[in-house]
Amino acid sequence: MAQRTATIKTPFENALARRRQLRKLWLVFLLFPAIAILLTFVFLPMASAILYSVYEWDGLVRGEFIGLGNFQKVLLDPRNNQFLINAFFNNVKVFIALMLVQNGLALILALFLAREPKGYRFYQIAFFLPVILSTVIIGFQWKLFLNPIFGLVNTLLRSVGLGDWAMPWLGLPETALGAMILVNAWHWVGFPTLVFLAAIHRIPKDLIEAARLDGASEWMIARDIIWPLMAPAVTIIVVLTFIGSFNWFEIPYIMGGLEGSPAYSTDMLGLLFYRTAFGSVSAGNSDFGTGSALAVLIFIFIFTFSTIATRYLTSREVELS
Amino acid sequence: MATIELRDVTKDFGGVQVIHGANLSIEDNEFVVFVGPSGCGKSTLLRLLSGLEELSAGEIYIDGERIDHLPPARRGLAMVFQSYALYPHMTVYQNMSYALKVARKSKQEIEEKVRAAAEILQLTELLDRKPKALSGGQRQRVAIGRAIVRDPSVFLFDEPLSNLDAKLRVQMRIELTNLHKQLQSTMIYVTHDQVEAMTMADKIVVMRSGHIEQVGAPLDLFNKPVNKFVAGFIGSPAMNFFKGQIISADEGTYEAQLDNGTQFKFKAQAGRLTVQDSIDLGVRPEDLQPGNTGAGTLMGKATAVERLGAQTYAYLSSPINENMIIHYAGDLDIQSGEEIEVSFNLDSCHLFGPDEQRIEFEG
Amino acid sequence: MNAIRKFASMAVLSTATFAYAGTALAQTELDFWSWRQEDVKAYNEIIAAFEEQNPDIKVTFTAHEATSYNTILTTALAGGAGPDIMHTRSYGSLEAIAAPGYLEPLDGKIDLSALSDDELLGTTLRSDGHVYAVPFASQTIVIFYNKDLFEQHDVALPETWDEFLAASQKFKDAGVIPLANGLADAWTMEIMSGAFLPNFYGKDFFGDVTSGATDFEDERFVNALEKFEALKDYMPQGYEGVDYATMKQLFSAGQAAMFVGGSFDIPTFVSAGVNFDIMQGPAAEEGGPRMVATWLDGGYGVNAASENKEAALKFIQFTATQPFAQMLTDKLANVPAVDGAKISDPMLAKVSEFHAEATPYIMLVAFRFNKPTGSTLLQNGLQELFTDKKTAAEVAADISAGIKSAE
Repeated sequence: MAQRTATIKTPFENALARRRQLRKLWLVFLLFPAIAILLTFVFLPMASAILYSVYEWDGLVRGEFIGLGNFQKVLLDPRNNQFLINAFFNNVKVFIALMLVQNGLALILALFLAREPKGYRFYQIAFFLPVILSTVIIGFQWKLFLNPIFGLVNTLLRSVGLGDWAMPWLGLPETALGAMILVNAWHWVGFPTLVFLAAIHRIPKDLIEAARLDGASEWMIARDIIWPLMAPAVTIIVVLTFIGSFNWFEIPYIMGGLEGSPAYSTDMLGLLFYRTAFGSVSAGNSDFGTGSALAVLIFIFIFTFSTIATRYLTSREVELS
Repeated sequence: MATIELRDVTKDFGGVQVIHGANLSIEDNEFVVFVGPSGCGKSTLLRLLSGLEELSAGEIYIDGERIDHLPPARRGLAMVFQSYALYPHMTVYQNMSYALKVARKSKQEIEEKVRAAAEILQLTELLDRKPKALSGGQRQRVAIGRAIVRDPSVFLFDEPLSNLDAKLRVQMRIELTNLHKQLQSTMIYVTHDQVEAMTMADKIVVMRSGHIEQVGAPLDLFNKPVNKFVAGFIGSPAMNFFKGQIISADEGTYEAQLDNGTQFKFKAQAGRLTVQDSIDLGVRPEDLQPGNTGAGTLMGKATAVERLGAQTYAYLSSPINENMIIHYAGDLDIQSGEEIEVSFNLDSCHLFGPDEQRIEFEG
Repeated sequence: MNAIRKFASMAVLSTATFAYAGTALAQTELDFWSWRQEDVKAYNEIIAAFEEQNPDIKVTFTAHEATSYNTILTTALAGGAGPDIMHTRSYGSLEAIAAPGYLEPLDGKIDLSALSDDELLGTTLRSDGHVYAVPFASQTIVIFYNKDLFEQHDVALPETWDEFLAASQKFKDAGVIPLANGLADAWTMEIMSGAFLPNFYGKDFFGDVTSGATDFEDERFVNALEKFEALKDYMPQGYEGVDYATMKQLFSAGQAAMFVGGSFDIPTFVSAGVNFDIMQGPAAEEGGPRMVATWLDGGYGVNAASENKEAALKFIQFTATQPFAQMLTDKLANVPAVDGAKISDPMLAKVSEFHAEATPYIMLVAFRFNKPTGSTLLQNGLQELFTDKKTAAEVAADISAGIKSAE
């Protein structure tokens, strides 16, 4: 009897097994689109970029396997690596500047908004509004604003008697990159502001009040309590800014063109990759091999550093309560 | 040394008044408990004192000095929050020393004070831990320690024990009382639990809907509640009330009839009541006796009985009060569903007039 | 049952037969890709003329976005989805699709007698010497000038460099921007240089530098750059940030007296209603040559993998004939590459006249085959020169080094 019950499943057990199977199918069904999208649009292009990068290319026709030849060309050939080095340091400048200007401003705005001043909802929307605008529109709009002759910026400067400050912002190697960074900051500042604000709102009010009772000034509260407890948000923003800075493309492309005009002062890794892989009317024909090698290098760099940064930054995060 | 004086303290939030002109004097070294149901304004009053909220009107004095315009840190008081509000990214030591660091005390002084407070609270072993690694009771002690190191003239506690389990709560109650004796400073303690109020307070402040209903020593409040609300709020289990009416009034002698027909006579201030005035007669559970030995008797059906050996609680339902409780010191053999008779003596009763204010018996 | 089956199979068979007959009768359909979005209407008219003579061929013209056309075309060709016939670019850009074998060689299959060797050079693959496209039009760099402003300020048309500078100064003094050109779009600087540099470096330099007899550090080239640099005084205030759109706006609005551009800019200013004329760049000295820089804009090629090669070649042959060239100049205001067309547009006729003294647009014609291209080197160098980042000699040295490294 006992043996029989052990080998033959009861109807209940059968139903249970069927249900488990259905559940598995359901899970597969739910996961399928995500996995399919990931495979097709993330892993496949990545794999093909790596594959492309180890072949010689004649325009779009794949030639011989050359191993790391393309990487050597990108990294060691002075014809290429002078652009790589220039673009890389421009990206570094962008990252540092965005950290200071965009995220610094966002932090100040978030601290300001967190105190819920009169009309703060309006400010919150106003700061965030540019984020939802298309980068292309913003790029063209600001290119018009910065036009040396008809542009709003110089017109304003002249009208308030600062005519000497009126400059061909996008035409001078000294100012072009800075102008683009400010435009990017103007466009995106609402996003880190919102993330920081959400993080500040997550900090229990009691902690702030306790600090206030402990005699801390507003500045000390921001430095000693709010800042350390915002760590998770800071991690996210630093890593996103890092990735965004090293993938920066739209604004410099629209405002400075594919060649990083003027005189490569706004050249970025993204532009360099585009020129290399797809070619341009002036810069020459497309070269998938070196282009893919460059893409792989950019990917490895961003991946490595954002992983290290995430690890390091996460280690200083604290769970609330 | 710290006396506290509140004068006509008023607070409104966006036009809604939540504290209606509170007046209160607190003596030096007193342990004062603000008690009342949630939403009565007791926490708000504490926050007004601490400076975390600004007064809408009125004045607050500590040791005769007006402080309501000072920022929180300069009022010389320390607060322990219900949530403990420990800084999660700091160790116990850092939590306790933060206020001193802010005040730019010397390293040595900070060390001394923190060690001393840790000693008192048995936290010495835990100084290097972060709050996450502490139990509820330990966190509670750190929160108190953080207050102690500042050497404040007044301690404010905002429902500090409500996050602890029952056993720990009893233990902490005793510890806090001992701490009060040890520190010899004024403490103000907010709770909605009248047992905490009764067991710890030198003086209880009962609040309701933003009004201070009564201020007094625990037993004064227990024995002579000024109104029906205080009577019902202080004491556990709560007082039973029976509705009735004045049927005759003659100079200072009145006769009243409860809704179940029970009649009784009493003397009180002449003219205080008139015929047809509604009254509430309050009888504490322990003042209701089984049997008909007292002046007034009631019949009730037992809906539940808790026999604990040394004492018995019985929940009765009768037409005049569907939820009355009797407390008998000793074992009482009644069954649920049984009809029993209970009685009370008038001199252990509390009488409240139509305005719900206490009516003092005379003679 | 059996009868029904029989009937059904008969029906299928007859439908198939009918369908087969249908294809035999139908036209051959050709896909024709281009980057000339603004020319769709004109091309459809030209195609209609062709279809009238060849009723068995139907051509569908599709214009893609100009800046990404190369990418779209090469990607499609690589994927085997290219059109039957296509607009190709010239010189280095042609090589990108001709070298991998995407294009059908045309010499021997097409009568190219109506085209000059110079023009065929732009569509000939250097490595095998075959012609891969029929050149369609040339572009020429000229100086546009506002006739009203010259009259109003009583400025004589400059013929020499000194006269050019004097005329510019006169405009500047009168508060008129002498030259509309700016730096922001680097390619417009290369265009501008094409109007001035050749008359300084002279007729022989192109041959010398392409044959390797000299390089860009040649004194002639350095000297040309040095002279050219003087023009920054006559460009708009903030010229460093003036882009192509602003340049055109300044000239169209009559704020600038002159504009250095290509013959492709003529329609813009005609439709803007500017009272303008064109001239060649100034001679370096009195009596010196006034050469215009020209280049072949592109050609028409046949997809080597096309299934309708015969029909496609028929169409391409059509593009190499005088009637086509005539339509091209009449409808599209181009200077056609094919000989024999009568240019009715006075402005184009003038451009055509300038060709008597022409010089190849140096970087595009000769140095866009390898990376870094001469164009990028020159464009970047000019931006550095005009923003005082580098001297003429340094720029020339950079270009020279870049060109050498590209071998």
